[in-house]
Amino acid sequence: MSTLTDLRIAAVGDIHLSTDDRGRYRSKLDGIENRADVFMLAGDLTRHGTLEEGRAVADELRGLPIPVVAVLGNHDYHSDLQYEIASELRDAGVVVLNDDGVVVQCGDKKLGVVGGKGFGGGYAGKCASEFGEREIKNFVSHTRFIAESWKVALKEIVADHRVVLSHYSPIKETLEGEPHEIYPFLGSYLLAEAVDTAGADLILHGHAHKGTEKGMTPGGIRVRNVALPVLGRAYAVYCLDWPEELGIHPA
Amino acid sequence: MEAPQYVAARVQQALAEDGRTHELGIRVDIRGDQLFLRGQVSDAEQRRRLGEVAHEAAPELHVHNEIKVVEATAPGEDEHLD
Ligand SMILES: [Fe+2]
Ligand SMILES: [Fe+2]
Repeated sequence: MSTLTDLRIAAVGDIHLSTDDRGRYRSKLDGIENRADVFMLAGDLTRHGTLEEGRAVADELRGLPIPVVAVLGNHDYHSDLQYEIASELRDAGVVVLNDDGVVVQCGDKKLGVVGGKGFGGGYAGKCASEFGEREIKNFVSHTRFIAESWKVALKEIVADHRVVLSHYSPIKETLEGEPHEIYPFLGSYLLAEAVDTAGADLILHGHAHKGTEKGMTPGGIRVRNVALPVLGRAYAVYCLDWPEELGIHPA
Repeated sequence: MEAPQYVAARVQQALAEDGRTHELGIRVDIRGDQLFLRGQVSDAEQRRRLGEVAHEAAPELHVHNEIKVVEATAPGEDEHLD
């Protein structure tokens, strides 16, 4: 069966650039416009979340010939400068999602991207719940709030394809290789549940450096862990295809 | 004497929290007076810093830095999701 490739998404997470990496990462992006229509970064762009590192990342991404969409990761929050880092990136032309969505025009196709950092809590049957101490309730309600925002953003967006971009993982399959004891700090099933409810073509995440690239939500949405150490390459390219036999593209 | 598990936990904490490293995924094992670091990082300088921070956190132990340096290569094959 032949297929038409609609959209080519280049993606990577956890590039963890420091100020002495200036120029090193950019050289790996040479020619990316021939391989992909859009570039997505799944958080942990810096090592310590300092403004200097944020600027180094912004400089590496500035002026790329294809649209760039990013979310931040926990490392980018470490110095409490996440808003400043996001605005450095925006000044460099990067779309930074913060539990909202954007529509990127890729050729004649509209790609909707929804996402943000995400958060932890664990996976169905083995997760924290909003009960007991205030600290635990805050932890769980932070994730619930994020999942709810994504669901709303996904439902509102009008596009040919929809992709969710996160730092934390919505499923545990892509964590395979990480110690089980830390799963609750690596992601939450609430994120997958929200996306399964609203629908999407693909979910990209990072954060689990020792995890596995490929997995799927309970609702059958493909999940890819694009953390750089997992990929072992500068970025992965995912093509969203539509079978030619079916003729007209679904709206 | 402090149990080796607590020393390993302290070293791991140091690797995560020290401003020079902030590396979360490194495994620390202690056997007698030998300390082993295992994991993956993307550059040799970070590997060196991890060894240094581990040594400072447990100066009485002999540090074996077995961390692997894996440089990201050029992008590979595309995956088609249909
Ligand atoms: Fe990371
Ligand atoms: Fe992370």
